[in-house]
Amino acid sequence: MRKQALLGVGALALAGLLGGCAFSGGGSTGGGESEGPVTLTFQSLAYQDSTVAATKKIVDDWNADNPDIQVKLTQGSWDNVHDQLVTQFQGGTAPDIIHDESSDILGFANQGYLADLTPYLSDDVKKSVSDDVWSTVTTADGKIVAAPTLLQTYVVYANKQAFADAGVDVPAGDELTWDDLQKVSKELTADGKFGVGWGLKQPTAAIMNTALGYDGTFFDVADDGSAKIEVGDDELAVPEKIHAMAYDDASLDPVTLTQSGSDVLPGFLGGKYAMYVGGNFLAQQITETAPEGFDWTVLPPLAGSDGPVQAANPQTMSVAAESKHPEQAAEFINYFMNADNQAALAQGDWLIPSSSDARDKVAEQTADQTGWKELLATGEDLKGAPFQKATNYPQWKDQFATPGLQQYFSDSISLDELKKQLTDGWSAIGG
Amino acid sequence: MSNATVTPTPARQETVPPETPRRRKSQDSGIPQSPIQRRVTRPLQYVALAGYIVFLGFPLLFLLTTAFKTPAELQSPNPTFLPTSLNFDNFIQAIAKANLVQAAGNSLIVAVATTVIVTLISLPAAYALARFRTKLRSIATGWILLSQVFPFILIIIPLFLVLKQIGLINNLLGLILVYSVWSLPFALWMLQGYVAGIPVELEEAGAMDGGSRIRVLVSIVLPLLAPGLVATSLFTFISAWNEFFFALVLIQDPALQTLPLTLARFVGAEGQVQLGQLAAASLLATIPSLVFFALIQRRLTSGLLSGAVKG
Amino acid sequence: MTSTVSPATVAEASAPQKRRRSSGGSPVNGSRRDAWLLVLPALIPVVLFSVYPLVQGILLGFTDAKAGLGQVVSFNGVDNYTRLATNELFWNSFRIGLIWAFGVTILQFFASLGLALLLNLNLKMRWLARTLALVPWAMPPVIIAIMWRLMLNPTYGPINGGMRALGLPGDINWLGDFSTALPAVIVVGVWAGMPQTTITLLAGLQNVPSELHEAAAIDGASTWQRFWHVTLPALRPIIVAITTLDLIWNFNSFALVYVLTAGGPGGQTMLPMLFAYNEAFRYGNFGYAAAMGNVMVIVIAAFLFLYLRSQARSRQS
Repeated sequence: MRKQALLGVGALALAGLLGGCAFSGGGSTGGGESEGPVTLTFQSLAYQDSTVAATKKIVDDWNADNPDIQVKLTQGSWDNVHDQLVTQFQGGTAPDIIHDESSDILGFANQGYLADLTPYLSDDVKKSVSDDVWSTVTTADGKIVAAPTLLQTYVVYANKQAFADAGVDVPAGDELTWDDLQKVSKELTADGKFGVGWGLKQPTAAIMNTALGYDGTFFDVADDGSAKIEVGDDELAVPEKIHAMAYDDASLDPVTLTQSGSDVLPGFLGGKYAMYVGGNFLAQQITETAPEGFDWTVLPPLAGSDGPVQAANPQTMSVAAESKHPEQAAEFINYFMNADNQAALAQGDWLIPSSSDARDKVAEQTADQTGWKELLATGEDLKGAPFQKATNYPQWKDQFATPGLQQYFSDSISLDELKKQLTDGWSAIGG
Repeated sequence: MSNATVTPTPARQETVPPETPRRRKSQDSGIPQSPIQRRVTRPLQYVALAGYIVFLGFPLLFLLTTAFKTPAELQSPNPTFLPTSLNFDNFIQAIAKANLVQAAGNSLIVAVATTVIVTLISLPAAYALARFRTKLRSIATGWILLSQVFPFILIIIPLFLVLKQIGLINNLLGLILVYSVWSLPFALWMLQGYVAGIPVELEEAGAMDGGSRIRVLVSIVLPLLAPGLVATSLFTFISAWNEFFFALVLIQDPALQTLPLTLARFVGAEGQVQLGQLAAASLLATIPSLVFFALIQRRLTSGLLSGAVKG
Repeated sequence: MTSTVSPATVAEASAPQKRRRSSGGSPVNGSRRDAWLLVLPALIPVVLFSVYPLVQGILLGFTDAKAGLGQVVSFNGVDNYTRLATNELFWNSFRIGLIWAFGVTILQFFASLGLALLLNLNLKMRWLARTLALVPWAMPPVIIAIMWRLMLNPTYGPINGGMRALGLPGDINWLGDFSTALPAVIVVGVWAGMPQTTITLLAGLQNVPSELHEAAAIDGASTWQRFWHVTLPALRPIIVAITTLDLIWNFNSFALVYVLTAGGPGGQTMLPMLFAYNEAFRYGNFGYAAAMGNVMVIVIAAFLFLYLRSQARSRQS
């Protein structure tokens, strides 16, 4: 008898729970199969005020022109986008349109969470982006799982006044080799001032990207996303150079290697560092916070033995496999990718559009602004890098590459130990 | 109030948790100490106390001053400790930018609902635990201790799947349920202590006067339990207001984020952060639980512990 | 939510005999069935949303559950555990977790005992220290972490500022440097956890019968002797209870370190909870992460067993 009572109450409680669903505020893939208007959710990671505004404008314009396909903008964060997407996919609450970056999404694609956009993307979009960049968002079996939007490169910012004070010429030309950077940096170091400050708290992406300049590819990836690692001289050339500048020449402030880019910026603006290495998006912060009269420029693209090559790791727009309206979502992405929109977003973040049309537009619109010409130049030689396709890359990055590089950059392990950590780590996670 | 006739025995009164902050005089005044000894140790004691005050208070003071500083002051190479002027920009911008109002609303909904649910279901259960000697007591005790030992990682994955099945992922109601269940053991335990402190004789007297069971409970037990209920519910509120881990996993929609989630994500990419705004937002988010805590801290500190030492 | 649980649990758990008196018999015609009915509304949600998930979680530790669309889950026996046995990173995080939990618990205990003793004296400004000691208890752990991140910021933080003013090296990146990150995080842990411990010990002190002290004083015992022979033995049950709970809470803590360092730099502050969280919600290995949880439970239980047994023994002797 008691059992029955218990069952009864249990059923009641469950009914209460289910009834409570109406309370939900977050049903994202709502809407039925009917013909009526469709609402799509779009989780954007834009965070600088200028880009947030640009994104919002694109969405508003779209909604005004497309009453049948309404897009609802929600805000995510680069900080935890990976964890958040894992839980969203697992919980069935993923947004329809997903903003991320290429090195992060191929794992999700291999797990079946992303829709194949090949049939939906317009020819204009396909034409405007180079094959190298397309390769970074294409799975081994040939599915395009995202549209590549903006590209980040690592650039060297220079304080012209500091160069003038030290009597050093500001490097010019088509490229700046790492050896030249080291040389100039040494010349600029004196009186408690350093040649370079580089916020390398999260070193892996920077190293993986710039290593391509020495043909450091790290991985050899098979079709199923499994990969072999190879860490040789080419891969280690950039870390070794940074280490030498910090500890042999003392021309790169080692404290900055433990800090984030934003933490180091005040030191650059305050004249403590003559040069500052970081993502091109940091230019936005420089323009926002630089003291009056601060005279800065962007140096030519960093080059290794293989030329000024960096990895293309574009931001991406994908559609969730479980989205009920993949076609409509892709339509929005096609719109999002048009040259005007991409140019506006690129200027908000000081990033390089992957679409060539948009790049031309940015060049046109920014002709009279400091730094843009040089920034765009760093985007000329971008290649797809194998690490983006290795399924276990995110875990390897967190658990082995980042700690290993951090230890090496704090001078607590040797280059050989770093090499061993990177290689052994990959096999430890069954790479 | 029916407690005009109440004359609890002294022994029982000892087990009533609230309102007994300083039963004994502090040792210092009660015990003879040689004047010489005193002259040596007293300054040392003040030095130590000052040390504690700095350690505990400085971070709070710093948070307060940071919240009033302008970005220029914060980035200046020679920072002053006190802000040069009282400038509320940080508060205004933090509220506008970080969706603090929405997050505070979510936190409030979750905390209030949790508190109501927990109070409603723990009240009868607490009465039963305190008044009936059954196996339940030992089971409940066991569960309360056990629930402290298990790391949340073990619970969160299946809980996530259960909630997913009933559509409560990414939903404030799901969070309310989880919070209710996980603050229940503690609330129950706290409350049954208060029930046990109410003399059984009162109920017996009420019953003999011909009152029904329910009437006795409502008119005699409930009023006496009021302080305990307040303390328990405020504590539940604070727990729910402050919680982070479950919210981190269960809530993904930015529009549903609670305050701790919003604040934890205030920091942008590359650690870009507006220090002043962050400090201002943190202060604002602390105020509610601080106020509630101030209201109940005397009960918490004096009442709850009295049982421990006498046992 | 456990992080805010007050010492009441201590109080009640260590004094079960006290209550039994009032629960003996049920004078108002209660019966066992009534008791069950009253408890039922609490029991059902607890079973549904904590006992059931917990059992599921333990079982999950013996499966290969993974993230992915349409993944099939199957039992894989002790595979997870043989894999864990050779997972150096996990054991390293375990070691860090133990250093953290014991470090915080022990430091917190001594700091709190000192403060409680001071608060128990008639000192001026006692109210201020007492109030300040309570504030961290009411603050969300996330905010405590944010506050200390600002304090410890290498460029603008007042700690480096103070060190510069004293002529010490003022450019230490406390939370970013391999050698200072864990100690810095432990200090924050002590700060955050002091209230519970202090207040519990203070309440204990206030309940030490003053007659005992008076008698000892008349016998000519010094302050130190009185502390050692009167106060400490009387406090013992409280000390055991609060340190036990502190240890469990600290070992399982998450929010504070997640916001302070997220386990960095280079995994130096990667507490087991963070590690397991990453395994589940970053890399999608749910079964493996649950297995880690199971190992954590076993280790914690073993420590508790040993600690409580040794305490029980020394009390007997």
